[in-house]
Amino acid sequence: MKDRPSVMDLPDLPKGELPAHLELQRTRVVCAADAPSYTESVQYSGAYMAFGVDNSLRLEDFKKSFKVEVKYINDDDMEFDMIGIDAALANAFRRILLAEVPTMAIEKVFIANNTSVIQDEVLAHRLGMIPIKADPRHFEYKADDENANEKNTIVFKLNVVCTRKGDRVNNASVKSEQLIWLPEGSEMPFDTKTKFTAFGCGQDKLPEFASSPICSQYPDITIAKLRPGQAIELECHAIKGIGKTHAKWSPVATARYRMHPEIVLTEVLEDDLAEELVAKCPAKVFDIEDLGKGRKGVKAARPRDCTLCRECVRGEDWEKRVSLRRLKEHFIFTIESTGSLPPNVLFTEAIKILIDKCQRIIAELS
Amino acid sequence: MNAPDRYERFVVPEGMKKVAYERDMKIMNAATFTIQREDHTIGNVIRMQLHRDPSVLFAGYRLPHPLQYKLVIKIQTTSQSSPMQAYNLAVTDLDKELDHLKQVFQEEIAQKQSEYY
Repeated sequence: MKDRPSVMDLPDLPKGELPAHLELQRTRVVCAADAPSYTESVQYSGAYMAFGVDNSLRLEDFKKSFKVEVKYINDDDMEFDMIGIDAALANAFRRILLAEVPTMAIEKVFIANNTSVIQDEVLAHRLGMIPIKADPRHFEYKADDENANEKNTIVFKLNVVCTRKGDRVNNASVKSEQLIWLPEGSEMPFDTKTKFTAFGCGQDKLPEFASSPICSQYPDITIAKLRPGQAIELECHAIKGIGKTHAKWSPVATARYRMHPEIVLTEVLEDDLAEELVAKCPAKVFDIEDLGKGRKGVKAARPRDCTLCRECVRGEDWEKRVSLRRLKEHFIFTIESTGSLPPNVLFTEAIKILIDKCQRIIAELS
Repeated sequence: MNAPDRYERFVVPEGMKKVAYERDMKIMNAATFTIQREDHTIGNVIRMQLHRDPSVLFAGYRLPHPLQYKLVIKIQTTSQSSPMQAYNLAVTDLDKELDHLKQVFQEEIAQKQSEYY
């Protein structure tokens, strides 16, 4: 009992600073071989009151710490980092991208003739899934009782007959490029209120579509397969909608995020151990480092490539040598667009939708 | 058939308030906000924002039932504030944060695109 230090001899904690282990728990998810820990985000403003640390976050702090870094972007995909936001916000954006950003999709199919082996309802469903190259911001939502007009409906027709010509079979498979846009509206005879389209003017005369005709985003999607003598004749009406109603209106193939991985070597690893660690990692995160005098060390050169397979912390003693973590406030966000809008526009739209939600729930509070 | 209309998930029925406020009769400075036709998307974000406020003692949200398209937020504050005040502050703050976020994002995109072309 002699060498047990007195509490009074312990050094004082600096005021306004968290002890290292709490700071780690606050900002990192620690991924051990069996399970991750400290997965929750500590948001309560008074969580560290006992240490004299104010955990509240105000607008000014947010503005100071928030950063965006675009890693790559093209017409279809983008990956960017958002630093300094909470999982709640990142998840809100993901949810909005998947379910609440509007696009155009085929909703009504009027089948005049279908002698193919594919049934009418299956064919209609397949047509609905085709991504349509049209900016949804130029359109309005169509209510059920509303007549179709040039501001809320896009009309396509599909008219294919499969024929045999000598050894060749024409139109053996119906592709999405065979959908023909009807800018003047429906060509079918007046029948019911839903089928009739009252276009004030041709859509191809509108400035937003004059230069870019509306068509399927991809020309080579197989809609149906035919044999000689079979035919399909139909008309489809595409309207604006959101992914919440049906996934065909979802503007993204996927929108996902992950926390940035962080790998810390808690011991100096040399020679055999260094080689073993490099070989352990299937994602090739580690590199051999020359320490001079023929000794080999190891460093985590590409932590971003880490898939969190946890191979590096498996096995005897490895959990003591390597600490695998994720940063709680650093999100790697990936958006894969279906093509109707570029991914950066989709994300801006998602932010706008969230702002809109905020304003509605404050304005409509009596 | 008897399937509910698809739009029932996001169109507030006529005569129903989007946001309803109800004060808790048993606890001081506590209240319940019921928001119609909203879900985790906004619920979790508001809860996060409320927790950052030093005057909030308790904040939580729940979706009572998957087929009732509404969100319930419960807030309790210190006597210096009120649930209504905390709610207003959280949502307006969030609004400003998002404005800032949008601006930063667009600046970054503009810069990235100018590098490409």
